[in-house]
Amino acid sequence: MLIFSVFKTLTDQQVTVELKNDLSITGVLKSVDQFLNIRLDNIKVLDEARHPHMMAVKNCFIRGSVVRYVQLPSEHVDTQLLEDATRRESLAAVKR
Amino acid sequence: MEPSSIQEPFDLIRLSLSERVFVKLRGDRELTGILHAYDGHMNLIMSDVEETIMLVEGDQPGVAPTVNVAKRKLDMLFVRGDGVILVSPPSRT
Amino acid sequence: MDDESTPPPPPDEHAPPPPPPQTHTGSPTDFLKGVVGKRVIVRLTSGVDYCGVLQCLDGYMNIALEQTEEHVNGAITNRYGDAFIRGNNVLYISAAEAI
Repeated sequence: MLIFSVFKTLTDQQVTVELKNDLSITGVLKSVDQFLNIRLDNIKVLDEARHPHMMAVKNCFIRGSVVRYVQLPSEHVDTQLLEDATRRESLAAVKR
Repeated sequence: MEPSSIQEPFDLIRLSLSERVFVKLRGDRELTGILHAYDGHMNLIMSDVEETIMLVEGDQPGVAPTVNVAKRKLDMLFVRGDGVILVSPPSRT
Repeated sequence: MDDESTPPPPPDEHAPPPPPPQTHTGSPTDFLKGVVGKRVIVRLTSGVDYCGVLQCLDGYMNIALEQTEEHVNGAITNRYGDAFIRGNNVLYISAAEAI
């Protein structure tokens, strides 16, 4: 839930999603859901020469399970807030 | 009994928040970076990350395999938990 | 509240008296309770072994190890003061000293 919230705060920001098949896609984060499925707009594939079929694609939906990394804009991530929220969530998880 | 206050494995990770950690991932990848967030899936958010990718070449028996190492730096990174094998905090003393 | 570590068996007139506890009997859970704090070898599905002191584990078999050595094909490849291992990678946990 915590990480879902983080992604929600990053909507309309530029991110780079790296998939488990090594494809990297940069685009504007349009939406995210609880499974961390991701919708990207204005996409650009990092290595277009290797993936020419992606050149015509302007936006996409990425299933959360195929994501390896997402590079985030650090200026829009409050690390102190993240750490506090993570501690709070972990304590709540123990109480369950 | 234990000098530490670790009752469950995630305590180890919680005590590493805002510290530099080592992460071993599937696919012969390793990361070091500062841990800012995690959840029960071991999804991670880290900053100031250096990724090391080990590319092993030469699988034939009798031939010493050569390991090529590729490194890159990433500013702020979300790591999906299903790829995580091991997380090691900085050594506590 | 009573100590839960050895719950008395349900009364049963026909059952023989329970044998004295041995290391070779007991459920997997009993084994895991027994190895906490002991040296163990954790083998991952990848074939990599981690030898260290088992600090604790949870229901997913996430594991916290102390003074850990990473062994690949018999050679030590890494040492960690502490290590968290994500449970899905675990093939087995083996006791490396008497329980």
